Amino acid sequence: MKRILRRSTMILAVTLVFIGGLGFLATELVMDAEDWVDHPFNAHISDNGGLSQAGAVFDRNGEALAQTIDGKRVYNESESVRKGLLHVVGDNSVNISTAVQSMYRSQLTGYSLIWGLNMPKSLRSSNDITLTVDAKTCAAAYDALSAYDKKGACVVYNYKTGEVICSVSTLAYDPQAPPKITEENESEYDGVYLDNVLSSAYTPGSIFKIITTAAAVESIPDIYERTWECTGSKEIGGSDVTCVEAHGTVNLEQAMAHSCNIAYAELAVEIGEEKMTEIAEKAGINDSVDVDGVKTAKGLYDVSKANTNQLAWSGVGQYNDKVNPMQMAVLCGAIANGGKSKSPTLLKDTSFLKSLGIDINMSSDGDELFAPETADKLDKIMRYTITDYYGDNLFGGLSVCAKTGTAEVGDDKEPTAWMVGYAKDEDCPLAFACVVEETGFGFTYAGPVAETAMIQAAKSLGASAVQ
Amino acid sequence: MSVIFDIGVVALRILLPVYAIVIVYQCYAAMRRRRRPEKPLVTLFDINTGRKLPVLFWENTLGRSKSSDIVVDDPAVSRSHCVLLRRKEGWYVNDVGSKSGTFVNGKRTRGRTQLLIDDTVRIGDTEFQFRRGEEYTDKIRTNRFFSKVSQKPAMKSWKLMLLITLFHLFMCIEAVFWNDGSNPNSPMVLFFALAAVEWGFFAISYFGLKRVNFELESLAMFLTGIGVILLIRQVERSAYVQLIAAVVGMVIFCIIIKFIEDPDKSARFRIPAMIFAVGLLLMSIVFGKVTYGAANWIYIGSISIQPSELVKVIYIFIGASALDKLQTNKNLLEFMIFSAVCVGLLALMGDFGTALIFFVTFLLIAFMRSGDFKTIIFAVAAAIFGVTFILNFKSYIADRFKAWRHVWQYAQTDAYQQAHVLIYIASGGLFGVGIGNGFLKQIGASESDLVFGLVAEEMGVIIAFTLAVAVGALVIYARAITTRSRSTFYSISACCAAGLLVVQLALNIFGATDILPLTGVTFPFISSGGSSVISCWGLIAFIKAADERTYAVKR
Repeated sequence: MKRILRRSTMILAVTLVFIGGLGFLATELVMDAEDWVDHPFNAHISDNGGLSQAGAVFDRNGEALAQTIDGKRVYNESESVRKGLLHVVGDNSVNISTAVQSMYRSQLTGYSLIWGLNMPKSLRSSNDITLTVDAKTCAAAYDALSAYDKKGACVVYNYKTGEVICSVSTLAYDPQAPPKITEENESEYDGVYLDNVLSSAYTPGSIFKIITTAAAVESIPDIYERTWECTGSKEIGGSDVTCVEAHGTVNLEQAMAHSCNIAYAELAVEIGEEKMTEIAEKAGINDSVDVDGVKTAKGLYDVSKANTNQLAWSGVGQYNDKVNPMQMAVLCGAIANGGKSKSPTLLKDTSFLKSLGIDINMSSDGDELFAPETADKLDKIMRYTITDYYGDNLFGGLSVCAKTGTAEVGDDKEPTAWMVGYAKDEDCPLAFACVVEETGFGFTYAGPVAETAMIQAAKSLGASAVQ
Repeated sequence: MSVIFDIGVVALRILLPVYAIVIVYQCYAAMRRRRRPEKPLVTLFDINTGRKLPVLFWENTLGRSKSSDIVVDDPAVSRSHCVLLRRKEGWYVNDVGSKSGTFVNGKRTRGRTQLLIDDTVRIGDTEFQFRRGEEYTDKIRTNRFFSKVSQKPAMKSWKLMLLITLFHLFMCIEAVFWNDGSNPNSPMVLFFALAAVEWGFFAISYFGLKRVNFELESLAMFLTGIGVILLIRQVERSAYVQLIAAVVGMVIFCIIIKFIEDPDKSARFRIPAMIFAVGLLLMSIVFGKVTYGAANWIYIGSISIQPSELVKVIYIFIGASALDKLQTNKNLLEFMIFSAVCVGLLALMGDFGTALIFFVTFLLIAFMRSGDFKTIIFAVAAAIFGVTFILNFKSYIADRFKAWRHVWQYAQTDAYQQAHVLIYIASGGLFGVGIGNGFLKQIGASESDLVFGLVAEEMGVIIAFTLAVAVGALVIYARAITTRSRSTFYSISACCAAGLLVVQLALNIFGATDILPLTGVTFPFISSGGSSVISCWGLIAFIKAADERTYAVKR
């Protein structure tokens, strides 16, 4: 009998392993339950009633973007604000998965580890969320962008603090009256649930010349003495590379300002696949940007299978190049910051310490996207692009450094218009990226949207140049 | 007004977990109490030295080996010399292959030989006189489970049952409040049916069978009732099917206890039982209908049964045996072949979960029977089975392994069930969203394979964990009564039955919560499934039988 008892210790051991497993499960539950709850297919929060007790969503100035009044979800009274911030705030459904009302629905509805989502509605305390965006800026940017009736995106963010001031994506609909999308009209609403700021990647066109310039100043010692001959077209690697017009003889700064494809195509070939890839990688083109846990679409620079002509085109942002709007804003912000990026965020820090004016910056310094001296050179050349070519009165007195792009997308479609850049003003540290699909010249189409957004954003920050 | 109502609802939800813990505690507390004091059954008086050796157990090994129950320090005695055992008719001694033999009153024994008080037993050069237990007066070290038991008498069985019935009543009241309007009062109807079964069984046990204790049955009833009530807001009919199955389970529980009353007689049925088990499994291969990828169901008219569940009970029965048989017949070949056939047939059926349960139970039984070194050989043999059937299920396993620990990535495909279980466990919080108020019930198999998630969502994590621990603690109980069982047949079967339930429980909980890459087994007593409930009741019959009071003490 004693032997049997001793051997039964084995079964006890199995049971202890089981108890250990329960402990592991409990630990996982305590650590991760909040993430588990936040899924669009959680029926407790995903139906339309899910927000009937939810907290409000405010913009940076405390303006209510979405709130629950008498059990009904009510969005901002301005239609432009509603549509402009659709992809940031979200609607009653969880169709826009990256929106705050989808991502943080459990927080809005008052989830807690102890009570789960089980509190009766009359006793549940819900939480408000304050965003970093400025409703006015977003409305203005949306009005400018939606005038084209094309898909596009516009993002403005503070490259010192990471706060996103403006994030607008078209097409959009009114969250107060979401459309019924059926088989008949689904082509009309194609991609409407996608936040183009975060989740789309576009052909960059000439804005990619920022990367090629960075590679050039790092790898060609006499780059500033060089000149290029542009006759509007040149054969490189067996096929032609073309410019919009014949730029004549240009140096590096002029080539950037006038966006001379031939100069940059030749540069890309001279710099070579390896260095181009190295600089693009370092600048984070092939990575995604993290925005409060949401990963943006990744850009693409991959010339491993490119021939010489394709390598040439890759230097002017064509071939298979892709970039994401948020990524470009962060990249421009890094140039302004001397090469270091700052992670963007949509959530305003409303902690107690912050309210006392104590700022504990927990987020580590961002990645170095450019070497400091490279960033400095890019800054000068992008500033030259504005002052020399476009004129400095464009952004209402802000000292802006920027680059436009007009990306050919083939299929007989009109090009994608781009403008990316940043303001150097001490009291207005804003970077921006603006993209409009199927329109035309970057300066003509993306320019006005960027200008509207930047000026309004600068006003909301109280920048002296625009007062 | 509605706020006051809501506060009431919240108070009830907080109350239930506390109440569940109290019930489970009381069940186990009652199991410890009302035991006979540990004292020797008989005494062996060494005629040469005058030393008295206490005989504590119903079955005892005598030998030179330190691990013998009665150690005889005599070079002429074999390491494992003979077994001294008590049966209804009296005491027996049985030589288990010693070199020098065992002599009773000077006569060499053949097989089991009866011993009467004052008889002499000679093994090697040592001669004992067989005396009464009262002769031994020294103090005896007692098992920790039973020591330090407060002198307070155990909670009366009927009071414990009343607590459990009240718990089920609260659950039903909760279920009444959350309904889709189609059957608002059906939980109360179910409650009365359930209460009738509970008290009916209690009455039969108390007045009919004259049993002194009812704690184990109470615990099983508590769990069974929860499983039944959870079904009322899913498929009302299933709740009644489950309840009827539980009644069948209780009947089988009683039959098994009666059947194994004499471990020696019932041992004769080992071979027929083996043939019956293999026949059952073969039947489900031939007539089986494939459900959820496993051909483990057979349909007789409108009744469907899962033979593999019933074979679990037979498997435990076949695995156990009395101590003298264990010592003489050390050959496990027969049992190994039987195990291999069972696991192989289950593998053929595609019932991977049950095959794994059998495999682990095989290891446990083999170790309990043989001790140390042989188990290694068994493990190797078993591993060969394992590999064979893993190959058999390659594609199915590969899919599940791919999604294992990556549920969110495969939340809409291969890990659909696990992802939803985690979401709803978290949504339920510590106290649950209320019976019938959850959403996991809309997911397939939520009432069986995923029932842990269903309990956690609707009744809260505390209750879910309490129920898991309640089943797990059966092992502690089975071990505690090991040396007090009337035969190793009972102690082995009780420990292994409890072990089997724990293994099954672990696969159920950890499979559903993505800790293990496997689903498809049931939560003992609670998961919906008639065969499963019947087999659980059948398995605890072995634990009940191992409690010496079951047969020895009557009211």
